[in-house]
Amino acid sequence: MIRLENVTKVYDGGVVAVKDIDLDVNKGEFVFLVGPSGSGKSTLIRLIMREEKPTHGGIWVAGKHASTLASWKVPHLRRSIGTVFQDFKLLPSRTVYENVAFAMEVTGKPPQIIRTQVPQVLKLVGLSAKTDRYPRQLSGGEQQRVSIARAFVNRPLILLADEPTGNLDPGTSVGIMRILDRINRTGTTVVMATHDHAIVDAMRRRVVQLDRGRLVRDESRGVYETMQQPVTQPTDAEEPEADDTSTGSAATPDASPNVETGEDVPVDAAPDPEDSGGEEPVAEEPVTVPDGTGEIPVVEES
Amino acid sequence: MTRISYVLREAFTNIGRNGLVVLGAILAVFISLTLTFGTLVFGEVVRINTIQWAEDVRVIAFVRDEVSPQAIADLTTEVESWDEVRDVFFVSKADALDEARDLFANQPAVLRVINENPDIVPASLRIQPEDPSEYRTIVVRLEGTPGLERVQSAGPAIDAMIALRDGLRIMFWLLALALGVAAVALIANTIHMAIYARREEIEIMRLVGASNWFVRVPFLLEGAIEGLVGAGLAVAFIVIAQQMALDRLTDLPEWINLAVENDFIMQRGALVLLFGVVAGLVGSGLSLAVHRYLRT
Repeated sequence: MIRLENVTKVYDGGVVAVKDIDLDVNKGEFVFLVGPSGSGKSTLIRLIMREEKPTHGGIWVAGKHASTLASWKVPHLRRSIGTVFQDFKLLPSRTVYENVAFAMEVTGKPPQIIRTQVPQVLKLVGLSAKTDRYPRQLSGGEQQRVSIARAFVNRPLILLADEPTGNLDPGTSVGIMRILDRINRTGTTVVMATHDHAIVDAMRRRVVQLDRGRLVRDESRGVYETMQQPVTQPTDAEEPEADDTSTGSAATPDASPNVETGEDVPVDAAPDPEDSGGEEPVAEEPVTVPDGTGEIPVVEES
Repeated sequence: MTRISYVLREAFTNIGRNGLVVLGAILAVFISLTLTFGTLVFGEVVRINTIQWAEDVRVIAFVRDEVSPQAIADLTTEVESWDEVRDVFFVSKADALDEARDLFANQPAVLRVINENPDIVPASLRIQPEDPSEYRTIVVRLEGTPGLERVQSAGPAIDAMIALRDGLRIMFWLLALALGVAAVALIANTIHMAIYARREEIEIMRLVGASNWFVRVPFLLEGAIEGLVGAGLAVAFIVIAQQMALDRLTDLPEWINLAVENDFIMQRGALVLLFGVVAGLVGSGLSLAVHRYLRT
C-alpha cells in the first residue's frame, strides 16, 4: 500500500529531514511513526501524501508512483488518502456536517451520496447529535473527530494522522484512538505519527522509529521506546542495528506476522469490554462510539 | 449541477468579501474600456463624416448628368496634368449612391429621399491635392469649367475633425493600454485577496483531493465577472453618452452626422465585453499562477 525505497529529503537550505528510508506498509496495517520532534515523522507523512517530493528515492502509494506523479494527478492520489492533523484544520464558518460534506462536495460526489454518507461517518465518530454545531462550540476531542470523519468520509485506502492526539488530554486521546482503530478494522491502512507513549504502548501495533531522519527501529508489535535503545541518544553502536532494520523492513519477519494476524491485534491491544458488539466492519455497519470514553484499559496502562 | 452552483456561489462570495478592491478593479476596467470603446465610436463618427474626404481628397467636382463619358475622361486627364493635383478619381452615380446610403444610414428621412430619387446623387471627380492644405487654387481653376455642376472643398471643419481623430486616437489608445494594464493588475490583486481569504478552504480542498481546476475555476470566474462588469459599464456609458450627444447637439451643421449604426455599436460593443472578460481571466490567471497556496 505504501512503499518507500531509499528515500532522502533535503529541504532548501540543506536541512536533511529524512535519510535513506526504506519502508513497506501493507494494506490494512496500523503503523505508528515515533521519534522526537525533528526526527522526520511529519516529513515522512508529507512525502507519502505528496505534499513534498523526495530529493532521492522512490515512493509508491496506493499503486501510484507518488514521487514522480504529475502535479495534475496529485488530486487523484489524495482521494485515496485521508489526512488528520494535530490542529484539526476545520473550517470555522461551517458546521460539523458541512465540514465533513465539504470533502465530498469538492471532489464532485453526488448530493444523494453525500446525504447518506455524511451522517453515517458522523455516527462512526460519535457526533450524530452535534451535526449542526460549529467547530468553536466543540471540545478539542470532538473537533478531532470531525476531522477524522472528514478524512474518512471518502473511504480512503490510507489514513495518515500526524500527531492527531497532540493537542488532547489522555482520556480524549483514547476516544480518538478507538475511532482510528475502528477505521483500521475496515481495512484502511493507518499511519500515525505520534509522541504519545501511552497510546503506542497500549495498542501494541507496528512501530517505526525515526531518529534524526533515519529509520532506527521497525517492530511489528512495538512499544514507544525500548530500554536498549534510548530515542534521544543513539550511540555509534546503534547505527548498524538501525541499518539492519531499515534495509529489509518489508521482507523481515518483523513486519509480516503483523499483517497476517492483523485482525487479532486490536483484540490483544485493547481488550475492551464495551467493544464486544462492535467487531464487525464499521464501514458497512457504523457503530456509535460513546463520547468521553475515558475508562477503557488503554488509559490504565499509561 | 452542484458543481456549477458551487462555483458561482464561491465566485460571488469572493466578490462580496472584498468590495472596495473589487470596485477599484471594476472602475479601472471601466475607464480603460470606455476610452477604448469611445475611441472606436468617435473614429467611426469621423469616418462617416469624412467618407468623401478619405485618402486626402480635398476637392470634389460634381459632374452634370448630361456630360458624356468621353468628356469626363478628357476632363480627368486635364485636371490630373495640373501641378497642384496629385491624383483624380471618378466616382460614378452608382458608387455615389452607395456612398450616400452609407453616409445617411442613420438618417432615415434623408435615406428615403435618396432611395425615392436616386438621380439626385451626382457623379463626381474626387481630387487629391499635392499639399492637402493647398486646395483653393484647384477650386478656383475648376470653377467655370463646363459640365461641372458645383465644386466643393473640404472646409476647415473636416480638416480639424481628421486632425482631432488622428491626434486623439494615439493618445486614447496609449491611455487605454496603460489603464488596461492597471485593470489587469487590480483584478489580479482582488483575486490574490480572495485566495488569501480562502486559504484554509483551499488547503483542505487540496488535502482531500479536489482537482486543480475545481479549486481555480471560482477565482477565474470572479476575474471574468469583474472584467465583464467593467466592460458592460463602459459600453453602457458610451452608448448613453452618444445618445445624449445626439439629443443635445441639435444645432450642429446639417452635414455633421453624429449617429453611428447600431450594428457597429453591437459588434464593437461585444468585442469590448470580450476584452473585459479576457482582461479578467488574465488578471486572475496571473494571480493563480504565482500563488503559493495553489502550488502542488
